[in-house]
Amino acid sequence: MNPVQQLTRLPRATLEFTNILLTQDDAEIAASPKDVVWTHRKTTLYRYRSADRVHPVPVLLVFALINRPHIFDLRPGNSFVEFLLSEGFDVFLLDWGEPGDEDADVGLESYVCDSLPWGIRETLRAAGEDEVSLLGWCIGGTLCAMHAALEPGGAARNLALLTTPIDTAGSLYGNWVGRDSFDVDQVADVHPAIPGSAIDWANKMMKPVTNYWTTYRNLWEGVLDGTARRDAYQAMAKWVADNPPFPSRAYREWITWMYKENRLVGGRLRLRGERVDLGRIEQNLLVVTAGADHIAPPPGTLPLLEAVASDDVTHFDRSGGHIGLMAGSRAKGEIWPDIADWLRERSGR
Amino acid sequence: MGEENPTPQDQARRLYEEGEARTARAMEELVGRDSFGELLARVTENAMALTRIGADLADTAIRNLRLAGRNDVARLGRQLARTEDKLEMVLQEVERVRERLDADAASPGAKDAGGSTRSSSRRSPAAKSRSSNSSAGARRSHAGRRRSAKRSP
Repeated sequence: MNPVQQLTRLPRATLEFTNILLTQDDAEIAASPKDVVWTHRKTTLYRYRSADRVHPVPVLLVFALINRPHIFDLRPGNSFVEFLLSEGFDVFLLDWGEPGDEDADVGLESYVCDSLPWGIRETLRAAGEDEVSLLGWCIGGTLCAMHAALEPGGAARNLALLTTPIDTAGSLYGNWVGRDSFDVDQVADVHPAIPGSAIDWANKMMKPVTNYWTTYRNLWEGVLDGTARRDAYQAMAKWVADNPPFPSRAYREWITWMYKENRLVGGRLRLRGERVDLGRIEQNLLVVTAGADHIAPPPGTLPLLEAVASDDVTHFDRSGGHIGLMAGSRAKGEIWPDIADWLRERSGR
Repeated sequence: MGEENPTPQDQARRLYEEGEARTARAMEELVGRDSFGELLARVTENAMALTRIGADLADTAIRNLRLAGRNDVARLGRQLARTEDKLEMVLQEVERVRERLDADAASPGAKDAGGSTRSSSRRSPAAKSRSSNSSAGARRSHAGRRRSAKRSP
């Protein structure tokens, strides 16, 4: 396209660009039909509707405490949930909801020792099965790993952990919040629920130019040359902008135990008095890392492979970022089938 | 061949993209420095202190107007949440009692609900041996038996 053509397209492109940005909240995300199975406080367990359940062992999806789990079911045609359902899995989702000031007392123990096992129990009950596959992403993966370490002979048969922080030494986030001068207690005292926007800002500041400029520049160029995908951009942008608060107690514990003291990998984390020993994890284990992940970089996840007692350990290391790995345009053809294959081989009676 | 004879527009674009990539790398190096971490910690501390002062002032003003402030609403919400916690515990206890009664009714000799009525496991032999020395095996069998006791959400 020559400069004259670009100039003539400029008014229309400007209108289209601003329209995409201004109407992103209208994007349809998390649209797969699902039913509420169980609720407790802000936590909701969903079961996705399917007429084609083939594999007996249900899959329970567990996402992080930051951002919403809608990324599992981003948009019709590009949804991991949709893909799993088409592969014959019985899919459940544990949604942590949107904590408020009244949830300031919810700590990691509440998630790992209460909500997660209770969600598993209700999953088993709804599916009529004795075992479940846990699929955790980001902090959700860490919570699943903690749960598996506390209940090695529990109902979880398979454990799939995607871009999961385990060892935070040397990480950028650790450099920011792990230092003594970062007063996590002050933050948690002032905010009963840490604003999601603040955590989102910190995450975006890890790659400031990419997040605050390149994303929009790429969209602009796409609009200008007619290749922009409105539905894909808006769905992802809407999900990225939806940041639930982080309960202050959980935030204080997460930052202190994981980043300031790095307890989990050292086996020094205790929940309800019981040591969270990764060496007790015996489930079939799948660990997926993303080469360009700056939030949970692979070196921070790989120690898990050596720490666990599982006989069946698989590691996929793929290109992509923390979210792009599973929600990018290539995920459907690359990583999703591999995860589904791994689950399928371990989901029979 | 655009590669061999780039137009001025292509050259300008390449230069721009190289500049942007270099800026991105430089910024990532910048935010990775200790000094940036220190700066972030100080800015956060100041922001939190200001937030606290603002929140205290607002809360005082609201209370003097005899209106319920954010803290009051949160306190009520917390009471509701704790009540829900207790309700969940009671429901679980009721389910345990019901299971025990069901187990006793099914096999009059069985006193221990986690004993002879344990459901069969579909795990691999290795997994079975792993779970055999854990109380979690009993938990699993509980989950299996509770299927009949479905409860509305």
